[in-house]
Order: sequence, then structure tokens, then C-alpha cells
Amino acid sequence: MKIRKILWIVLLLAAWQGIAVSGRFSPLIFPSLGMISQSLVNSLLNGELVRETVFSIVLILEGLIIGMLLAAVMSIASITSKWLRDLIETVTALAHPLPGIALLPIIILWLGTGRSSVVFIIVHSVVWPLLLNITAGFKATPRIYRDTAQNFGVRGIDMFKDVYVPASLPFLISGLKIAWARSWRALISAEMIFGAVGGKGGLGWYIFKQRVFMDTAGMFSALFIIILIGIIVEEIVFEKFEAATIRKWGMAIYDGEN
Amino acid sequence: MMEKIEGINIFRSAKKEGQSFQILEDISFSAQQGEIVCILGPSGCGKSTLLRIMGGFDLPDRGSVLRDGTEVTKPSSDAILIFQDFNQLLPWKTVIENVIYPLSINRIGNTKKEREAAAVRYLNMAGLNDSFHSYPHQLSGGMKQKAALARALVLTPSILLMDEPFGSLDALTRKNLQVLLEDIWRETGVTIVFVTHDVQEAIILGDKIIIMDKNPGRILNEVPNNLERPRDIGSPGFIELYDRIYSMLQRGSDQ
Repeated sequence: MKIRKILWIVLLLAAWQGIAVSGRFSPLIFPSLGMISQSLVNSLLNGELVRETVFSIVLILEGLIIGMLLAAVMSIASITSKWLRDLIETVTALAHPLPGIALLPIIILWLGTGRSSVVFIIVHSVVWPLLLNITAGFKATPRIYRDTAQNFGVRGIDMFKDVYVPASLPFLISGLKIAWARSWRALISAEMIFGAVGGKGGLGWYIFKQRVFMDTAGMFSALFIIILIGIIVEEIVFEKFEAATIRKWGMAIYDGEN
Repeated sequence: MMEKIEGINIFRSAKKEGQSFQILEDISFSAQQGEIVCILGPSGCGKSTLLRIMGGFDLPDRGSVLRDGTEVTKPSSDAILIFQDFNQLLPWKTVIENVIYPLSINRIGNTKKEREAAAVRYLNMAGLNDSFHSYPHQLSGGMKQKAALARALVLTPSILLMDEPFGSLDALTRKNLQVLLEDIWRETGVTIVFVTHDVQEAIILGDKIIIMDKNPGRILNEVPNNLERPRDIGSPGFIELYDRIYSMLQRGSDQ
């Protein structure tokens, strides 16, 4: 991260602390940074927050992996046959605008309130944006790459893996970023609703539960964990991956420098 | 001598804003084994389309292209197309990986070492002696075109189809590449069909210059060029030939 960004974070935190210590609001509603970190350390040390975080991350990864596999299969199917492409485009057009949370009551009816329901909601929120981005990437593959590859005798699966996949990598990466963000939204909402019934809750359920105890600092410490994971994935995982691929190849739409 | 590549009464139309118009009208031409044939014409005369048809990338509405007497229906690694676009190399492969790729796809060369050696040989032939491990976006336009040339040559095609490959280069680099191409041609004996809108380039390179007109794209004239190689503007007869071809192009555009 740039120095300016870090500076802004420090300033925002200072502003928060300023409001908290001003006494304008009750600490029950607006806890100070000290209370939040205290709660964070406690719940990390007694293992509760760690367990919930691991539970949530496992669900996210499961949903993401299943979603990616489905998107891969469907995107390959859609370039092999016009009939399949029309089918997949139709299903995508119908399913993509549906928020995962709107499906919850039906999913509860069909799959119950177990973890498979949460995974289903995550897969739903991940698979359509991924699919849309991958197929957009295939369509945007420059004709000159296909022409030259065809000229050298590249056909079928080789054309797919050697030309289409790398050429559409910038699209795939932005699809993954959207999918990652969407999967968290789906997860947290599903956990908040299911947690009351299911056994383990995850971060969504944790936040929900702390409200019942009026543990505002506890709610913020869980939010902090979510933000931290988001930053780590965005600034380290995606950053490293982009630097090793599309930025190295001069293919990035935005190269991160201004 | 045998006809290496030959076009017979080629017609091709296209649709633009719902209206059909003729891009190519009754084009016939031939290039003999080892010849450089330049196709010279203004922008929009259909010369790139003609080259794509020769390569089997597009099909004519009527007429046919024969390569060694056999009708061309699809692209083949025996006739490689080189574009004007600097972005014809695969950006996710280094320069040498780009040249090795056609070899590995066609299972030529037994080991990675062998393929690498072949790639280096053709990169050197195309005038590249370093930057093998750079990515295409790190190269200058001239270097990219040299790498594209090396990649085209590595499969030892008998025909190169070149679509204004030096058209976007600065004058000095273009001149260097013209000399380089002539050297490669002499060394390999490859047949070259070279599309350009630059009269000087056509005279420097072509054994034969086919002059085209636009709307519709058709052949105005075919001029043999027997000036002694290597040629440049100072060569005896160069200016006369230049004037002759230039006035043919002028007359075409005046009609």
C-alpha cells in the first residue's frame, strides 16, 4: 500500500477515537479503539473468533472452488456448441440478477439450514459473475492471436489453453475479484439467518449474536477481521498474482500506478 | 518455373451498414517459386483481404487460390501470414518462447534444447541477438516485427504472406528491415507475397509489382521489376520505374 493510503487509515482511526472519547455517544453504541482491540484480543485468545473465522473461510473457499469449476465447465461448453451457449447465456441472464439472499427461503425449504445451504448461496453469487467475465474474455480475445495460432496449426484444446485462457486472464482476474467480494456478502447474510438454527455460526452469526449481548466492541472486532481478510487477499494474493502474470506481460488494463 | 501460389478470378464482397459492396473484383495473379511479388495499392483496395484469402483465412465468393496446384481452403503452416500489427506476438510468452511455440505445437525437435537452438538460429537470422527473454511489450516496434519474422520462419514455410509488416515503423528501421528481409529471402529461397502502399518499398523488394485500385479492388497493372539487387533510390532505373508506377496509381485514382 502507498504511504498516502496508510496515512489516511491512521487519520480515519484518529477521527474515530476522537468521537469515541468525546463522550458524545455512549460507549455501548460507539466503542473506543481500545475497547474494540480489547474485545478482539480476548475473543482471539479464547479461540471463539478464530473458530468462527476458520469456519467462514472454509465455506467461502468451498463455494469459490465449486463456483469456479462450474464456471469453467460452462464456459468451455459455451464455446463448443451454439446450442449450449444460448442455453448458458439464457440461464445466466435469468439467474445473475437474483440476489442470493432472495433465494434463502427456497433453499431452506429444499436443502434445510445446514452448511450445504450456505455453500449453495455462495456458489450462486459467485458462478454468474465469473461466467460472464470468462466468456467476455473469450469474446475479447484479439483475432490476430487466433489467426497466428491457427496458422501454426494450433487446434482445439491447445487453442483453448494456449490462446483463449491466457488472453482472457485480465477478465478472469476481475471476475475473481467480483466473485470474492460477492461470496463474502452471501456468506455473511446466510450465516446471520442460518446461524440461529444451525450448530456452528461463522462470522456472520458471531456479529449477529454479539448484538443480542449488546457487545458493540465485539461486533466491530468481527468486522475488523472481515476487513483484514479482504485487505490481505486484495493487496497480497491478487496483487502477487497480477504482478506475476498480466502486469509482467503488459496486459493489465490498469497497472496500479498513476 | 512452377506456379507457387496462384489466384484465379477471385471475387469477394462484404457488407457494410447493410449494403453489400465489392471488395475484390476478378483478381488473378501468380507468384513463382522463390519470387517476391509486391501488391501495391491505396488503403481500402482490398489488398489485405486478398492476402487473407491467399492464406486460407478467408474464402473468396468466387474464384480460387491454388498453392502448388492445390486449392487453398484453410490456413497452413506452409504459408505464414505476418501482420502490420505490432501485437501479433503472444504477450504472455517471452520472445524465445514465442518462436519455440510453433515448434512444440508441431512436435518439431526432440528436446527442449533442440527447439531452443532452432529458435535462436531464426532469431539471429531475423536480426535479433538479445532480448530473447524479454516480453513483447518490452520491445520496440522494429524488434517485435523481427521476432514475428523469426517465428514465421521457424517452421520453414515455403511462402511468407506479408501484410504491410513494416508499415508502422520509422523510415530508418523500415529500411533496415527491408534489407534484412532481402537477405533472408536470398538465404532461404522462400516465396514472398508482400502487400504495401509504399511505391519505394515495392520497387526495392518486388520481382513483380501488382498495382491495385480501389472501389472495387481490382488489378490495374502488373509490372516486372528487373533492377539489380540490392536496390535503392540511387539505383539506375529506379526513379524511372517509380514515376511509371506512380502515374499508374494516379490514373487509377483519377478515374
